[in-house]
Amino acid sequence: MKRSVRTGLVAAVVVSMAGMMLAGCSPAAPSGGSASSGAASIKTAMVTDVGGLGDKSFNDLSYAGLQRAQKDLKVNIKVLQSHQITDYVTNLSELSGAGYSPVFAVGFLMSDAVTQESTAFPKTDFGGIDIDFTNPPKNVVGLNFKEQEAGYLAGVVAGLATQATFDPRLNKDNTLGFVGGMAIPPVQRYEAGFVAGAKSVDPGVKIISLYAGRFDDQAKGKELGLSLISSGADIVFAAAGQTGTGTEKACADSGKALFIGVDSDQFLTIPNSGNVMLTSAVKRVDNAVYLVVKDAAAGKFPGGQNLTFGLKDDGVGIAPFHDFDSKVPQSIKDAVAKAETDIKSGAVVVPTTLK
Amino acid sequence: MLSEVINPELFASAIRMATPLALAAIGGTICERSGVVNIALEGIMLIGAFFGVVVALAAGSTHISWLVAASPWLGILAAVVASVLMAGLHAFASITLRMDQVVSGTAINLLALGLTGFLMVTLYGHPGTTDPIPVAINAVFNFPTPAGGLLATAWSWIDQIVFSYTPIVYAAMIAAVVGQWALFHTRWGLHLRALGEHPRAADTVGIRVLRGRYVAVLISGVLGGLAGANLSIEQVGSFNENMTAGRGFIALAANIFGRWTPIGSYLASLLFGFADALQIKLQAFQSVVQIPVQFFLMLPYVLTVVVLAGVMGRAVAPAEVGKPYEKE
Repeated sequence: MKRSVRTGLVAAVVVSMAGMMLAGCSPAAPSGGSASSGAASIKTAMVTDVGGLGDKSFNDLSYAGLQRAQKDLKVNIKVLQSHQITDYVTNLSELSGAGYSPVFAVGFLMSDAVTQESTAFPKTDFGGIDIDFTNPPKNVVGLNFKEQEAGYLAGVVAGLATQATFDPRLNKDNTLGFVGGMAIPPVQRYEAGFVAGAKSVDPGVKIISLYAGRFDDQAKGKELGLSLISSGADIVFAAAGQTGTGTEKACADSGKALFIGVDSDQFLTIPNSGNVMLTSAVKRVDNAVYLVVKDAAAGKFPGGQNLTFGLKDDGVGIAPFHDFDSKVPQSIKDAVAKAETDIKSGAVVVPTTLK
Repeated sequence: MLSEVINPELFASAIRMATPLALAAIGGTICERSGVVNIALEGIMLIGAFFGVVVALAAGSTHISWLVAASPWLGILAAVVASVLMAGLHAFASITLRMDQVVSGTAINLLALGLTGFLMVTLYGHPGTTDPIPVAINAVFNFPTPAGGLLATAWSWIDQIVFSYTPIVYAAMIAAVVGQWALFHTRWGLHLRALGEHPRAADTVGIRVLRGRYVAVLISGVLGGLAGANLSIEQVGSFNENMTAGRGFIALAANIFGRWTPIGSYLASLLFGFADALQIKLQAFQSVVQIPVQFFLMLPYVLTVVVLAGVMGRAVAPAEVGKPYEKE
């Protein structure tokens, strides 16, 4: 009796440890670079959000920025993945303790974790993607993006396209759909920009916004997409991470709507999506990460402030039309170009919240 | 405005969203009726969802045409096999080794999350989302849409609410009915319930307690595998890490809410699915009523709590659930 209980306990411990070890090592993405000999070489790292590497979105983009830094600047890089919100602090302190600096925290949800760790490790520099810090200390920089400007351009495209007839899936309902992951500021900025952009070309357009409450639930994203399509939306813009991949699937399966991707050019990241992928609202997290690493390598870490990257700084933008390039009328392309000029010149200031 | 909320799409969406919950909940019911708590359902579903897609992708990428055509079905089969193996691990730990069933279940949930993430990198070189499977599973029925008129409108309701689903959706309904019959109208069901109420008494009349519990846990593996395959193969056609998103735990609540009966579990899942579908429709009016979106997102959960606490009264679990059985 006693013996078997003990065996049971041992089995429990072994199984749970195996689970946690696997969970811990799932990053497995090539980490650390070829050891470089330059004296200026630094070690930089990032902690992913729960979406993790392979989200084909901002976690992957941040990593792309680090990889570029590894190649161009010969720095060492490392990635730790967060599987739960409770992993943030552990991952940040592990990297800080191992001498990595700057350490990038990818995602708004990591705000508190970075603030806490920046006090615990005053010698480590931190970069927070999508985090707008209140009074950041010298070793913290917030990297924010004008998602609303990318959303605005997507809105201009969608608002004009829903009235156009270049594709049989475009109906006469004059309705657009938006799918958000969680209702957090970067997603809401995309939404606000999308709405403003669409209304700028057609004040009468109807835009339905739905939120999933998660970034990793494809099935939910698909249901949200189907609901929008049944309400007449013929173009759906999803700012929802992997949840948005399900929305793309809803557009493809129903054969009744086109899709606008987010963060990266999703034509390239979602296989076989060319048939529905009108364009993507892109956010160049890679550029921002690269710039900060470059400054840090030169000993000029831009700490103590929040940086904001907009259309003017090549921080956000709109992806090519790809398979739709020959179908989309020149008038839409001209309107996008005009909107870009107006935003850059300041003639149009895109709102960050819905009114 | 009412037609924008109450339409056939609402009910179809409710049934689609209820399906993975219901399958897992019925599995949980059968498991708990035999005296084994199965909080590993989340992990069992996740493993099924993953291996289903792995096999569907592998078979679909060959150049043998019948194999490509059969790839999603092989995927479903693989999902069931993988989930049964995972459930077997839970059975071995909690029945043979008499481990604490909650600990074993938690360990399996962690293992499933870690293993799928690890294998994604090993097999596909990247974490996150897999490629889409090449051949999808279509709806079972595909009737032509008749021309206009009232009759056509009525038909489109019936068509969407009754005939628009993929096979596993119907399998879940059948599982509820067959499960109910097997559990309450067969000798096997009587024996199974005896294991959960008074295994010692069952043992003394010659019912093999441990074998009966093994069978129950493995059945929950079959149903969990179908639930996972419904999510990954039927609904979205790819796998992403943690794609079950807590459905296994909602299923456990549905099992309790359904008072440990298969049909009750199905209906409870349906209620949850309906609440979720309804909140999606109501969200569309968020800008009109000016209520934060989180309020809508919380509705299905609030409804579950309210129904569990208020309307249903006390739910009585099988007397010996969670207690390992040891022959004297």
